Amino acid sequence: MSSAGNYELLAVFISLFVIFIGLGFWSSRFRKGDLSDLGEWALAGRKLGTYLSWFLIGADLYTAYTFIAIPELVYEKGAIYYFAVPYVGMTFGIAMITMPRLWKIAKGKNYVTAVDMVSDKFNSKTLGMIIAFTGIAAELPYIALQIYGMQAVLIVMIGQFNVTDATTITEIALIVSFIILAAFTFTSGLRGAVITAVMKDALIFLTVIVVIIVVPLEIGGFGNAFSAMKPAAAGSYQILPSLLVNGFISLSLMSALALYLYPHAINGILSSSSTKKIRLSTALLPIYGVGLAMLALFGILIYASSPALALVGKYGPVTVVPALIYAELPPWFAGIAFLGIFIGGLVPASIMAISQANLLTRNVIKVAVPNLEPKTEARLSKYFSIMFKFIALGFIFLISPTYSLELQLVGGIIILQTMPAIFIGMYSKWLNKFGVGVGWLVGMVSGVYMIYYANFVANSFPSIETTFFKFSTPFSFLYIGLIALLLNLIFAVVITFIFHAMGKGTPTNNA
Amino acid sequence: MTKDSNVNNLSIETNGTTIEKIVVAILLLVPIAVFSLTPLYNTKGPELFGLTFFYWFQAAWLVVTSIFYILAAMLLNRMEGGN
Repeated sequence: MSSAGNYELLAVFISLFVIFIGLGFWSSRFRKGDLSDLGEWALAGRKLGTYLSWFLIGADLYTAYTFIAIPELVYEKGAIYYFAVPYVGMTFGIAMITMPRLWKIAKGKNYVTAVDMVSDKFNSKTLGMIIAFTGIAAELPYIALQIYGMQAVLIVMIGQFNVTDATTITEIALIVSFIILAAFTFTSGLRGAVITAVMKDALIFLTVIVVIIVVPLEIGGFGNAFSAMKPAAAGSYQILPSLLVNGFISLSLMSALALYLYPHAINGILSSSSTKKIRLSTALLPIYGVGLAMLALFGILIYASSPALALVGKYGPVTVVPALIYAELPPWFAGIAFLGIFIGGLVPASIMAISQANLLTRNVIKVAVPNLEPKTEARLSKYFSIMFKFIALGFIFLISPTYSLELQLVGGIIILQTMPAIFIGMYSKWLNKFGVGVGWLVGMVSGVYMIYYANFVANSFPSIETTFFKFSTPFSFLYIGLIALLLNLIFAVVITFIFHAMGKGTPTNNA
Repeated sequence: MTKDSNVNNLSIETNGTTIEKIVVAILLLVPIAVFSLTPLYNTKGPELFGLTFFYWFQAAWLVVTSIFYILAAMLLNRMEGGN
Protein backbone atom coordinates (compact mmCIF):
# COMPACT_ATOMS: atom_id res chain seq x y z
CA MET A 1 0.00 0.00 0.00
CA SER A 2 1.30 3.46 -0.91
CA SER A 3 1.90 6.15 1.68
CA ALA A 4 -1.10 8.10 0.32
CA GLY A 5 -3.08 4.88 0.79
CA ASN A 6 -2.06 4.74 4.42
CA TYR A 7 -3.35 8.27 5.01
CA GLU A 8 -6.57 7.38 3.21
CA LEU A 9 -7.00 4.35 5.49
CA LEU A 10 -6.33 6.44 8.58
CA ALA A 11 -8.75 9.18 7.44
CA VAL A 12 -11.59 6.68 6.92
CA PHE A 13 -10.84 5.04 10.25
CA ILE A 14 -10.86 8.30 12.19
CA SER A 15 -13.99 9.69 10.49
CA LEU A 16 -15.94 6.54 11.31
CA PHE A 17 -14.64 6.58 14.86
CA VAL A 18 -15.98 10.11 15.29
CA ILE A 19 -19.40 8.93 14.10
CA PHE A 20 -19.17 6.03 16.54
CA ILE A 21 -18.49 8.40 19.45
CA GLY A 22 -21.41 10.60 18.41
CA LEU A 23 -23.75 7.61 18.35
CA GLY A 24 -22.52 6.52 21.76
CA PHE A 25 -23.43 9.83 23.40
CA TRP A 26 -26.64 10.32 21.43
CA SER A 27 -27.95 6.91 22.49
CA SER A 28 -28.64 8.09 26.05
CA ARG A 29 -31.79 9.66 24.53
CA PHE A 30 -32.85 6.43 22.85
CA ARG A 31 -36.17 5.21 24.33
CA LYS A 32 -35.53 7.58 27.15
CA GLY A 33 -35.60 6.39 30.73
CA ASP A 34 -34.32 7.57 34.06
CA LEU A 35 -30.65 6.72 33.77
CA SER A 36 -30.06 7.18 37.46
CA ASP A 37 -31.97 3.90 37.93
CA LEU A 38 -29.87 0.75 37.66
CA GLY A 39 -32.47 -1.19 35.66
CA GLU A 40 -32.59 1.65 33.15
CA TRP A 41 -28.86 2.19 32.91
CA ALA A 42 -27.79 -1.46 32.90
CA LEU A 43 -30.74 -3.19 31.22
CA ALA A 44 -31.90 -0.34 28.96
CA GLY A 45 -35.20 -0.53 30.85
CA ARG A 46 -35.93 -4.12 29.63
CA LYS A 47 -37.32 -2.66 26.42
CA LEU A 48 -35.29 -4.37 23.71
CA GLY A 49 -37.15 -6.16 20.94
CA THR A 50 -36.13 -9.10 18.74
CA TYR A 51 -33.74 -7.19 16.48
CA LEU A 52 -31.98 -5.06 19.07
CA SER A 53 -31.63 -8.12 21.30
CA TRP A 54 -30.14 -9.92 18.35
CA PHE A 55 -27.60 -7.17 17.84
CA LEU A 56 -26.81 -6.91 21.52
CA ILE A 57 -26.30 -10.63 22.11
CA GLY A 58 -24.56 -10.86 18.76
CA ALA A 59 -22.27 -8.12 19.99
CA ASP A 60 -21.29 -10.40 22.84
CA LEU A 61 -20.41 -13.08 20.37
CA TYR A 62 -18.85 -11.08 17.58
CA THR A 63 -15.90 -9.78 19.48
CA ALA A 64 -12.15 -9.87 19.25
CA TYR A 65 -12.65 -13.56 19.99
CA THR A 66 -14.05 -13.92 16.49
CA PHE A 67 -11.92 -11.42 14.57
CA ILE A 68 -8.62 -11.96 16.25
CA ALA A 69 -8.28 -14.92 18.61
CA ILE A 70 -9.85 -17.71 16.54
CA PRO A 71 -8.22 -16.76 13.18
CA GLU A 72 -4.90 -16.40 15.00
CA LEU A 73 -4.98 -19.98 16.21
CA VAL A 74 -6.50 -21.49 13.08
CA TYR A 75 -3.51 -19.90 11.32
CA GLU A 76 -1.05 -21.20 13.91
CA LYS A 77 -2.47 -24.63 14.76
CA GLY A 78 -5.12 -25.54 12.23
CA ALA A 79 -8.44 -27.37 12.36
CA ILE A 80 -8.80 -27.81 16.13
CA TYR A 81 -9.49 -24.09 16.64
CA TYR A 82 -12.41 -24.30 14.25
CA PHE A 83 -14.18 -25.64 17.39
CA ALA A 84 -15.69 -22.15 17.64
CA VAL A 85 -18.13 -23.08 14.86
CA PRO A 86 -19.86 -26.00 16.61
CA TYR A 87 -19.64 -23.92 19.78
CA VAL A 88 -21.83 -21.15 18.39
CA GLY A 89 -24.11 -23.71 16.78
CA MET A 90 -24.75 -25.44 20.09
CA THR A 91 -24.74 -22.56 22.54
CA PHE A 92 -27.94 -21.03 21.22
CA GLY A 93 -29.80 -24.32 21.55
CA ILE A 94 -28.83 -24.36 25.22
CA ALA A 95 -29.86 -20.72 25.52
CA MET A 96 -33.30 -21.37 23.99
CA ILE A 97 -34.08 -23.70 26.88
CA THR A 98 -32.42 -21.93 29.79
CA MET A 99 -32.69 -18.22 29.08
CA PRO A 100 -36.46 -17.67 28.72
CA ARG A 101 -36.84 -19.39 32.07
CA LEU A 102 -34.20 -17.18 33.67
CA TRP A 103 -35.90 -14.10 32.20
CA LYS A 104 -39.25 -15.13 33.69
CA ILE A 105 -37.79 -15.78 37.11
CA ALA A 106 -35.91 -12.47 36.98
CA LYS A 107 -38.88 -10.46 35.78
CA GLY A 108 -41.13 -11.90 38.48
CA LYS A 109 -38.74 -11.03 41.29
CA ASN A 110 -37.11 -7.97 39.75
CA TYR A 111 -33.67 -9.54 39.57
CA VAL A 112 -31.03 -7.63 37.61
CA THR A 113 -28.35 -10.35 37.69
CA ALA A 114 -28.26 -14.15 37.80
CA VAL A 115 -26.61 -13.86 41.19
CA ASP A 116 -29.78 -12.23 42.57
CA MET A 117 -31.46 -15.52 41.76
CA VAL A 118 -28.67 -17.67 43.22
CA SER A 119 -28.70 -15.77 46.54
CA ASP A 120 -32.46 -16.13 46.75
CA LYS A 121 -32.82 -19.76 45.63
CA PHE A 122 -30.07 -21.08 47.86
CA ASN A 123 -30.93 -18.59 50.59
CA SER A 124 -27.27 -17.69 50.91
CA LYS A 125 -25.85 -14.25 50.29
CA THR A 126 -22.39 -15.73 50.79
CA LEU A 127 -22.89 -18.17 47.93
CA GLY A 128 -24.24 -15.23 45.92
CA MET A 129 -21.09 -13.23 46.60
CA ILE A 130 -18.88 -16.16 45.61
CA ILE A 131 -20.73 -16.51 42.31
CA ALA A 132 -20.59 -12.73 41.79
CA PHE A 133 -16.82 -12.61 42.27
CA THR A 134 -16.43 -15.63 39.96
CA GLY A 135 -18.35 -13.80 37.24
CA ILE A 136 -16.32 -10.65 37.73
CA ALA A 137 -13.06 -12.60 37.58
CA ALA A 138 -14.06 -14.55 34.47
CA GLU A 139 -14.92 -11.35 32.58
CA LEU A 140 -11.52 -9.74 33.14
CA PRO A 141 -9.46 -11.94 30.79
CA TYR A 142 -12.33 -11.73 28.28
CA ILE A 143 -12.11 -7.92 28.32
CA ALA A 144 -8.33 -8.16 28.07
CA LEU A 145 -8.81 -10.24 24.91
CA GLN A 146 -10.88 -7.39 23.43
CA ILE A 147 -8.04 -4.99 24.08
CA TYR A 148 -5.56 -7.33 22.40
CA GLY A 149 -7.78 -7.29 19.35
CA MET A 150 -7.92 -3.51 19.26
CA GLN A 151 -4.17 -3.36 19.67
CA ALA A 152 -3.69 -5.74 16.73
CA VAL A 153 -5.59 -3.38 14.42
CA LEU A 154 -3.77 -0.29 15.66
CA ILE A 155 -0.31 -1.82 15.31
CA VAL A 156 -0.91 -2.83 11.68
CA MET A 157 -2.34 0.60 10.89
CA ILE A 158 0.17 2.74 12.78
CA GLY A 159 3.09 0.51 11.90
CA GLN A 160 2.80 1.58 8.25
CA PHE A 161 3.85 5.12 9.03
CA ASN A 162 7.49 5.98 9.48
CA VAL A 163 7.26 6.71 13.14
CA THR A 164 10.03 5.86 15.56
CA ASP A 165 7.91 4.24 18.22
CA ALA A 166 4.73 2.71 16.84
CA THR A 167 4.20 0.69 20.03
CA THR A 168 3.99 3.76 22.25
CA ILE A 169 1.63 5.50 19.86
CA THR A 170 -0.53 2.38 19.81
CA GLU A 171 -0.68 2.32 23.57
CA ILE A 172 -1.59 5.99 23.78
CA ALA A 173 -4.29 5.49 21.13
CA LEU A 174 -5.69 2.59 23.17
CA ILE A 175 -5.82 4.60 26.37
CA VAL A 176 -7.52 7.55 24.61
CA SER A 177 -10.12 5.19 23.11
CA PHE A 178 -10.83 3.76 26.54
CA ILE A 179 -11.33 7.18 28.08
CA ILE A 180 -13.87 7.99 25.36
CA LEU A 181 -15.58 4.64 25.85
CA ALA A 182 -15.70 5.13 29.61
CA ALA A 183 -17.31 8.53 29.10
CA PHE A 184 -20.15 7.30 26.94
CA THR A 185 -20.75 4.13 28.90
CA PHE A 186 -21.06 6.37 31.94
CA THR A 187 -23.67 8.60 30.32
CA SER A 188 -25.56 6.11 28.13
CA GLY A 189 -25.17 2.74 29.85
CA LEU A 190 -26.38 -0.30 27.95
CA ARG A 191 -28.20 1.91 25.45
CA GLY A 192 -24.83 3.18 24.24
CA ALA A 193 -23.61 -0.38 23.77
CA VAL A 194 -26.73 -1.46 21.86
CA ILE A 195 -26.76 1.44 19.42
CA THR A 196 -23.04 1.25 18.72
CA ALA A 197 -23.36 -2.53 18.39
CA VAL A 198 -25.63 -2.00 15.40
CA MET A 199 -22.97 0.13 13.70
CA LYS A 200 -20.24 -2.33 14.59
CA ASP A 201 -22.13 -5.32 13.21
CA ALA A 202 -23.06 -3.52 10.01
CA LEU A 203 -19.38 -2.77 9.35
CA ILE A 204 -18.31 -6.27 10.28
CA PHE A 205 -20.87 -8.02 8.10
CA LEU A 206 -19.80 -5.85 5.18
CA THR A 207 -16.16 -6.69 5.84
CA VAL A 208 -16.71 -10.43 6.15
CA ILE A 209 -18.81 -10.68 2.99
CA VAL A 210 -16.41 -8.61 0.89
CA VAL A 211 -13.29 -10.38 2.11
CA ILE A 212 -14.67 -13.88 1.76
CA ILE A 213 -15.64 -13.17 -1.86
CA VAL A 214 -12.73 -10.98 -2.99
CA VAL A 215 -9.77 -12.66 -1.34
CA PRO A 216 -10.36 -16.24 -2.56
CA LEU A 217 -10.83 -14.84 -6.08
CA GLU A 218 -7.57 -12.87 -5.86
CA ILE A 219 -5.51 -15.71 -4.56
CA GLY A 220 -7.19 -18.51 -6.48
CA GLY A 221 -9.25 -20.31 -3.84
CA PHE A 222 -8.68 -22.31 -0.70
CA GLY A 223 -6.97 -25.08 -2.62
CA ASN A 224 -4.05 -22.72 -3.20
CA ALA A 225 -3.93 -21.80 0.47
CA PHE A 226 -3.71 -25.45 1.54
CA SER A 227 -1.05 -26.24 -1.03
CA ALA A 228 0.97 -23.17 0.03
CA MET A 229 1.45 -24.71 3.48
CA LYS A 230 4.34 -26.95 4.31
CA PRO A 231 3.18 -30.47 3.41
CA ALA A 232 4.05 -31.76 6.87
CA ALA A 233 1.86 -29.17 8.54
CA ALA A 234 -1.01 -29.25 6.07
CA GLY A 235 -2.38 -32.46 7.58
CA SER A 236 -3.56 -30.81 10.80
CA TYR A 237 -5.16 -28.03 8.75
CA GLN A 238 -7.19 -30.03 6.23
CA ILE A 239 -8.92 -32.16 8.85
CA LEU A 240 -8.70 -32.73 12.58
CA PRO A 241 -5.95 -35.18 13.61
CA SER A 242 -7.62 -38.06 15.46
CA LEU A 243 -5.51 -37.28 18.54
CA LEU A 244 -7.32 -33.95 18.87
CA VAL A 245 -10.93 -35.05 18.33
CA ASN A 246 -11.75 -35.14 22.05
CA GLY A 247 -10.06 -31.80 22.56
CA PHE A 248 -12.22 -30.35 19.80
CA ILE A 249 -15.46 -31.76 21.21
CA SER A 250 -14.70 -30.78 24.81
CA LEU A 251 -13.74 -27.23 23.79
CA SER A 252 -16.88 -26.71 21.73
CA LEU A 253 -19.30 -28.27 24.24
CA MET A 254 -17.85 -26.47 27.24
CA SER A 255 -17.68 -23.13 25.42
CA ALA A 256 -21.33 -23.63 24.46
CA LEU A 257 -22.25 -24.27 28.08
CA ALA A 258 -20.14 -21.36 29.33
CA LEU A 259 -21.39 -18.50 27.14
CA TYR A 260 -24.73 -18.03 28.86
CA LEU A 261 -23.16 -18.21 32.30
CA TYR A 262 -21.17 -15.04 31.62
CA PRO A 263 -22.69 -12.01 33.34
CA HIS A 264 -22.62 -10.00 30.10
CA ALA A 265 -24.64 -12.60 28.19
CA ILE A 266 -27.21 -12.86 30.97
CA ASN A 267 -27.34 -9.07 31.15
CA GLY A 268 -28.16 -9.03 27.43
CA ILE A 269 -30.96 -11.57 27.92
CA LEU A 270 -32.47 -9.72 30.87
CA SER A 271 -32.63 -6.50 28.84
CA SER A 272 -34.96 -8.15 26.34
CA SER A 273 -38.63 -7.19 26.49
CA SER A 274 -40.19 -10.69 26.43
CA THR A 275 -39.46 -14.42 26.40
CA LYS A 276 -40.85 -14.76 22.89
CA LYS A 277 -38.39 -12.17 21.62
CA ILE A 278 -35.56 -13.93 23.42
CA ARG A 279 -36.41 -17.21 21.67
CA LEU A 280 -36.67 -15.68 18.22
CA SER A 281 -33.51 -13.59 18.45
CA THR A 282 -31.60 -16.53 19.92
CA ALA A 283 -32.78 -18.82 17.13
CA LEU A 284 -31.44 -16.35 14.58
CA LEU A 285 -28.02 -16.11 16.20
CA PRO A 286 -26.34 -19.15 14.56
CA ILE A 287 -26.50 -17.02 11.39
CA TYR A 288 -23.89 -14.84 13.08
CA GLY A 289 -21.84 -17.97 13.40
CA VAL A 290 -21.55 -18.23 9.63
CA GLY A 291 -19.58 -14.97 9.72
CA LEU A 292 -17.46 -16.41 12.52
CA ALA A 293 -16.71 -19.46 10.38
CA MET A 294 -15.66 -17.22 7.50
CA LEU A 295 -13.35 -15.22 9.75
CA ALA A 296 -11.82 -18.42 11.10
CA LEU A 297 -11.06 -19.40 7.52
CA PHE A 298 -8.99 -16.21 7.13
CA GLY A 299 -6.44 -18.17 9.16
CA ILE A 300 -6.16 -20.55 6.21
CA LEU A 301 -6.63 -18.09 3.36
CA ILE A 302 -3.68 -16.04 4.53
CA TYR A 303 -1.29 -18.83 3.52
CA ALA A 304 -1.92 -17.89 -0.10
CA SER A 305 -1.11 -14.20 0.39
CA SER A 306 2.60 -13.54 0.74
CA PRO A 307 2.27 -9.78 1.50
CA ALA A 308 -0.14 -10.63 4.34
CA LEU A 309 2.20 -13.34 5.62
CA ALA A 310 5.03 -10.80 5.66
CA LEU A 311 2.94 -8.47 7.86
CA VAL A 312 2.08 -11.31 10.23
CA GLY A 313 5.76 -12.18 10.40
CA LYS A 314 6.44 -8.61 11.48
CA TYR A 315 3.55 -8.00 13.91
CA GLY A 316 2.70 -11.49 15.12
CA PRO A 317 -0.07 -14.05 14.42
CA VAL A 318 -2.58 -11.95 16.35
CA THR A 319 -2.73 -9.69 13.28
CA VAL A 320 -3.90 -12.37 10.79
CA VAL A 321 -7.21 -10.69 9.92
CA PRO A 322 -6.03 -7.07 9.77
CA ALA A 323 -2.95 -8.14 7.79
CA LEU A 324 -5.00 -10.02 5.20
CA ILE A 325 -7.40 -7.08 4.82
CA TYR A 326 -4.54 -4.58 4.56
CA ALA A 327 -2.67 -6.65 1.99
CA GLU A 328 -5.56 -7.61 -0.26
CA LEU A 329 -8.10 -4.78 -0.22
CA PRO A 330 -8.11 -1.05 -1.15
CA PRO A 331 -7.17 1.44 1.61
CA TRP A 332 -10.60 3.02 2.04
CA PHE A 333 -12.12 -0.39 2.54
CA ALA A 334 -9.39 -1.42 4.94
CA GLY A 335 -10.24 1.75 6.92
CA ILE A 336 -13.87 0.62 7.25
CA ALA A 337 -12.90 -2.93 8.18
CA PHE A 338 -10.28 -1.83 10.71
CA LEU A 339 -12.74 0.44 12.45
CA GLY A 340 -15.23 -2.43 12.50
CA ILE A 341 -12.71 -4.71 14.18
CA PHE A 342 -11.59 -1.96 16.53
CA ILE A 343 -15.07 -1.15 17.83
CA GLY A 344 -15.71 -4.89 17.70
CA GLY A 345 -13.43 -5.01 20.74
CA LEU A 346 -14.56 -1.75 22.28
CA VAL A 347 -18.32 -2.38 22.38
CA PRO A 348 -18.11 -5.85 24.01
CA ALA A 349 -15.58 -4.48 26.49
CA SER A 350 -18.17 -1.92 27.49
CA ILE A 351 -20.96 -4.50 27.82
CA MET A 352 -18.74 -6.76 29.90
CA ALA A 353 -17.65 -3.96 32.22
CA ILE A 354 -21.30 -2.92 32.75
CA SER A 355 -22.18 -6.46 33.79
CA GLN A 356 -19.22 -6.68 36.18
CA ALA A 357 -20.20 -3.36 37.72
CA ASN A 358 -23.76 -4.62 38.21
CA LEU A 359 -22.54 -7.67 40.06
CA LEU A 360 -20.20 -5.74 42.30
CA THR A 361 -22.83 -3.17 43.25
CA ARG A 362 -25.87 -5.39 43.62
CA ASN A 363 -24.43 -8.62 44.92
CA VAL A 364 -21.48 -7.48 46.95
CA ILE A 365 -21.77 -3.82 48.04
CA LYS A 366 -25.52 -3.91 48.54
CA VAL A 367 -25.25 -7.04 50.66
CA ALA A 368 -22.82 -5.26 52.95
CA VAL A 369 -24.80 -1.98 52.90
CA PRO A 370 -28.43 -3.09 52.53
CA ASN A 371 -30.08 0.32 52.67
CA LEU A 372 -28.25 1.67 49.62
CA GLU A 373 -30.30 4.33 47.80
CA PRO A 374 -31.26 3.31 44.25
CA LYS A 375 -29.55 6.43 42.93
CA THR A 376 -26.35 5.66 44.80
CA GLU A 377 -26.53 2.08 43.51
CA ALA A 378 -26.71 3.26 39.90
CA ARG A 379 -23.99 5.83 40.41
CA LEU A 380 -21.66 3.29 42.00
CA SER A 381 -22.22 0.91 39.09
CA LYS A 382 -21.24 3.62 36.63
CA TYR A 383 -17.97 4.27 38.44
CA PHE A 384 -17.23 0.55 38.78
CA SER A 385 -17.75 0.06 35.05
CA ILE A 386 -14.97 2.60 34.46
CA MET A 387 -12.76 0.92 37.02
CA PHE A 388 -13.09 -2.54 35.43
CA LYS A 389 -12.25 -1.25 31.97
CA PHE A 390 -9.03 0.21 33.23
CA ILE A 391 -8.15 -2.87 35.29
CA ALA A 392 -8.43 -4.92 32.09
CA LEU A 393 -6.36 -2.34 30.24
CA GLY A 394 -3.70 -2.56 32.94
CA PHE A 395 -3.86 -6.34 32.66
CA ILE A 396 -2.63 -6.33 29.08
CA PHE A 397 0.25 -4.01 29.82
CA LEU A 398 1.39 -6.54 32.43
CA ILE A 399 0.65 -9.98 31.00
CA SER A 400 1.33 -11.15 27.49
CA PRO A 401 -0.05 -14.60 26.71
CA THR A 402 1.36 -16.60 23.83
CA TYR A 403 -2.03 -16.64 22.16
CA SER A 404 -4.88 -14.23 22.84
CA LEU A 405 -7.45 -17.06 22.93
CA GLU A 406 -5.85 -18.46 26.08
CA LEU A 407 -7.32 -15.51 27.95
CA GLN A 408 -10.85 -16.39 26.94
CA LEU A 409 -10.35 -20.10 27.60
CA VAL A 410 -9.09 -19.39 31.10
CA GLY A 411 -12.18 -17.20 31.61
CA GLY A 412 -14.23 -20.18 30.43
CA ILE A 413 -12.70 -22.53 33.00
CA ILE A 414 -13.60 -20.03 35.74
CA ILE A 415 -17.16 -19.22 34.62
CA LEU A 416 -18.04 -22.91 34.11
CA GLN A 417 -17.76 -23.37 37.87
CA THR A 418 -20.91 -21.26 38.31
CA MET A 419 -22.92 -23.73 36.23
CA PRO A 420 -24.38 -25.78 39.13
CA ALA A 421 -25.45 -22.63 41.00
CA ILE A 422 -27.01 -20.88 38.01
CA PHE A 423 -28.29 -23.51 35.56
CA ILE A 424 -29.18 -26.27 38.01
CA GLY A 425 -30.34 -23.73 40.60
CA MET A 426 -32.80 -22.43 38.02
CA TYR A 427 -34.52 -25.78 37.65
CA SER A 428 -34.11 -27.71 40.86
CA LYS A 429 -34.24 -27.15 44.58
CA TRP A 430 -32.44 -30.37 45.34
CA LEU A 431 -28.84 -29.08 45.49
CA ASN A 432 -27.75 -27.77 48.86
CA LYS A 433 -25.81 -24.52 49.25
CA PHE A 434 -22.90 -26.27 50.93
CA GLY A 435 -22.78 -28.82 48.12
CA VAL A 436 -22.71 -26.05 45.52
CA GLY A 437 -20.10 -24.15 47.51
CA VAL A 438 -17.76 -27.09 47.96
CA GLY A 439 -18.25 -28.13 44.33
CA TRP A 440 -17.34 -24.59 43.27
CA LEU A 441 -14.20 -24.67 45.42
CA VAL A 442 -13.10 -28.05 44.03
CA GLY A 443 -13.77 -26.88 40.46
CA MET A 444 -11.83 -23.64 40.91
CA VAL A 445 -8.86 -25.19 42.68
CA SER A 446 -8.58 -28.12 40.27
CA GLY A 447 -9.05 -25.80 37.27
CA VAL A 448 -6.35 -23.40 38.39
CA TYR A 449 -4.06 -26.27 39.29
CA MET A 450 -4.48 -27.87 35.87
CA ILE A 451 -3.79 -24.55 34.14
CA TYR A 452 -0.64 -24.27 36.25
CA TYR A 453 0.29 -27.88 35.53
CA ALA A 454 -0.25 -27.58 31.79
CA ASN A 455 1.84 -24.41 31.62
CA PHE A 456 4.67 -25.00 34.04
CA VAL A 457 4.97 -28.70 34.77
CA ALA A 458 3.95 -30.67 31.71
CA ASN A 459 5.43 -28.49 29.05
CA SER A 460 6.05 -31.68 27.20
CA PHE A 461 3.30 -30.97 24.71
CA PRO A 462 4.35 -27.64 23.26
CA SER A 463 2.44 -28.22 20.05
CA ILE A 464 -0.85 -27.73 21.82
CA GLU A 465 -2.25 -24.92 23.89
CA THR A 466 -2.16 -24.39 27.58
CA THR A 467 -5.81 -25.01 28.36
CA PHE A 468 -5.72 -28.73 27.66
CA PHE A 469 -5.01 -31.52 30.05
CA LYS A 470 -3.31 -34.50 28.50
CA PHE A 471 -4.30 -38.01 29.47
CA SER A 472 -2.70 -41.08 28.13
CA THR A 473 -5.30 -43.03 26.13
CA PRO A 474 -8.28 -43.14 25.80
CA PHE A 475 -9.10 -39.43 26.32
CA SER A 476 -5.94 -37.86 24.96
CA PHE A 477 -6.40 -34.06 25.20
CA LEU A 478 -9.37 -32.62 27.08
CA TYR A 479 -10.26 -29.00 27.80
CA ILE A 480 -9.52 -28.30 31.47
CA GLY A 481 -12.93 -26.64 31.84
CA LEU A 482 -14.66 -29.99 31.31
CA ILE A 483 -12.61 -31.86 33.90
CA ALA A 484 -12.96 -29.11 36.52
CA LEU A 485 -16.72 -28.91 35.95
CA LEU A 486 -17.12 -32.68 36.32
CA LEU A 487 -15.23 -32.61 39.64
CA ASN A 488 -17.37 -29.67 40.71
CA LEU A 489 -20.61 -31.54 39.91
CA ILE A 490 -19.49 -34.74 41.63
CA PHE A 491 -18.70 -32.87 44.85
CA ALA A 492 -21.88 -30.80 44.66
CA VAL A 493 -24.02 -33.92 44.38
CA VAL A 494 -22.17 -36.00 46.97
CA ILE A 495 -22.10 -33.25 49.63
CA THR A 496 -25.76 -32.45 49.01
CA PHE A 497 -26.59 -36.13 49.34
CA ILE A 498 -24.76 -36.30 52.67
CA PHE A 499 -26.69 -33.28 53.99
CA HIS A 500 -29.99 -34.79 52.90
CA ALA A 501 -29.05 -38.12 54.50
CA MET A 502 -28.26 -36.32 57.75
CA GLY A 503 -31.77 -34.92 57.66
CA LYS A 504 -30.69 -31.39 57.00
CA GLY A 505 -32.50 -31.28 53.70
CA THR A 506 -34.78 -28.62 52.28
CA PRO A 507 -31.99 -26.09 52.56
CA THR A 508 -33.11 -23.96 49.67
CA ASN A 509 -35.55 -21.18 49.90
CA ASN A 510 -37.85 -19.83 47.30
CA ALA A 511 -39.35 -17.03 49.32
CA MET B 1 -29.37 -33.91 35.44
CA THR B 2 -31.35 -33.53 38.67
CA LYS B 3 -34.98 -34.18 39.35
CA ASP B 4 -37.23 -31.19 38.96
CA SER B 5 -39.30 -31.88 42.03
CA ASN B 6 -41.49 -28.85 41.96
CA VAL B 7 -43.08 -27.82 38.70
CA ASN B 8 -44.06 -24.27 39.40
CA ASN B 9 -45.87 -21.67 37.37
CA LEU B 10 -42.63 -20.60 35.69
CA SER B 11 -42.40 -23.80 33.70
CA ILE B 12 -44.18 -22.47 30.66
CA GLU B 13 -42.72 -25.33 28.65
CA THR B 14 -45.23 -27.61 30.34
CA ASN B 15 -48.16 -25.98 28.57
CA GLY B 16 -47.88 -27.85 25.27
CA THR B 17 -49.02 -31.33 24.34
CA THR B 18 -46.65 -34.28 24.56
CA ILE B 19 -46.22 -34.35 20.79
CA GLU B 20 -45.31 -30.66 20.73
CA LYS B 21 -42.74 -31.21 23.45
CA ILE B 22 -41.19 -34.14 21.58
CA VAL B 23 -40.98 -32.10 18.38
CA VAL B 24 -39.30 -29.20 20.22
CA ALA B 25 -36.82 -31.60 21.82
CA ILE B 26 -35.95 -33.06 18.41
CA LEU B 27 -35.59 -29.62 16.83
CA LEU B 28 -33.17 -28.53 19.54
CA LEU B 29 -31.25 -31.76 20.00
CA VAL B 30 -30.57 -32.77 16.39
CA PRO B 31 -28.32 -29.77 15.60
CA ILE B 32 -26.41 -30.24 18.86
CA ALA B 33 -26.04 -34.00 18.33
CA VAL B 34 -24.69 -33.57 14.82
CA PHE B 35 -22.14 -30.98 15.94
CA SER B 36 -21.01 -33.29 18.77
CA LEU B 37 -20.42 -36.24 16.46
CA THR B 38 -17.19 -34.79 15.12
CA PRO B 39 -15.89 -38.00 13.48
CA LEU B 40 -18.93 -37.92 11.15
CA TYR B 41 -17.71 -34.81 9.34
CA ASN B 42 -13.97 -34.99 9.97
CA THR B 43 -13.15 -35.89 6.38
CA LYS B 44 -11.37 -34.22 3.47
CA GLY B 45 -13.91 -34.86 0.79
CA PRO B 46 -16.14 -33.83 -0.82
CA GLU B 47 -14.42 -30.47 -1.16
CA LEU B 48 -16.13 -27.17 -1.93
CA PHE B 49 -14.15 -24.27 -3.47
CA GLY B 50 -11.00 -26.12 -2.47
CA LEU B 51 -12.18 -26.30 1.15
CA THR B 52 -12.27 -29.68 2.89
CA PHE B 53 -15.61 -31.12 4.03
CA PHE B 54 -14.67 -30.57 7.68
CA TYR B 55 -14.82 -26.78 7.26
CA TRP B 56 -17.68 -26.20 4.87
CA PHE B 57 -20.00 -28.79 6.36
CA GLN B 58 -19.89 -27.18 9.81
CA ALA B 59 -20.49 -23.71 8.35
CA ALA B 60 -23.41 -25.02 6.31
CA TRP B 61 -24.79 -26.89 9.30
CA LEU B 62 -25.04 -23.57 11.15
CA VAL B 63 -27.66 -22.46 8.64
CA VAL B 64 -29.63 -25.69 9.08
CA THR B 65 -29.27 -25.26 12.85
CA SER B 66 -30.77 -21.81 12.71
CA ILE B 67 -33.78 -23.11 10.74
CA PHE B 68 -34.32 -25.87 13.32
CA TYR B 69 -34.05 -23.34 16.16
CA ILE B 70 -36.46 -20.90 14.51
CA LEU B 71 -39.05 -23.67 14.15
CA ALA B 72 -38.51 -24.63 17.79
CA ALA B 73 -38.86 -20.98 18.84
CA MET B 74 -42.12 -20.59 16.94
CA LEU B 75 -43.52 -23.76 18.46
CA LEU B 76 -42.43 -22.80 21.98
CA ASN B 77 -43.89 -19.32 21.56
CA ARG B 78 -47.19 -20.83 20.46
CA MET B 79 -47.15 -23.18 23.44
CA GLU B 80 -46.56 -20.23 25.74
CA GLY B 81 -49.74 -18.59 24.46
CA GLY B 82 -50.79 -15.00 25.10
CA ASN B 83 -49.13 -12.37 22.99
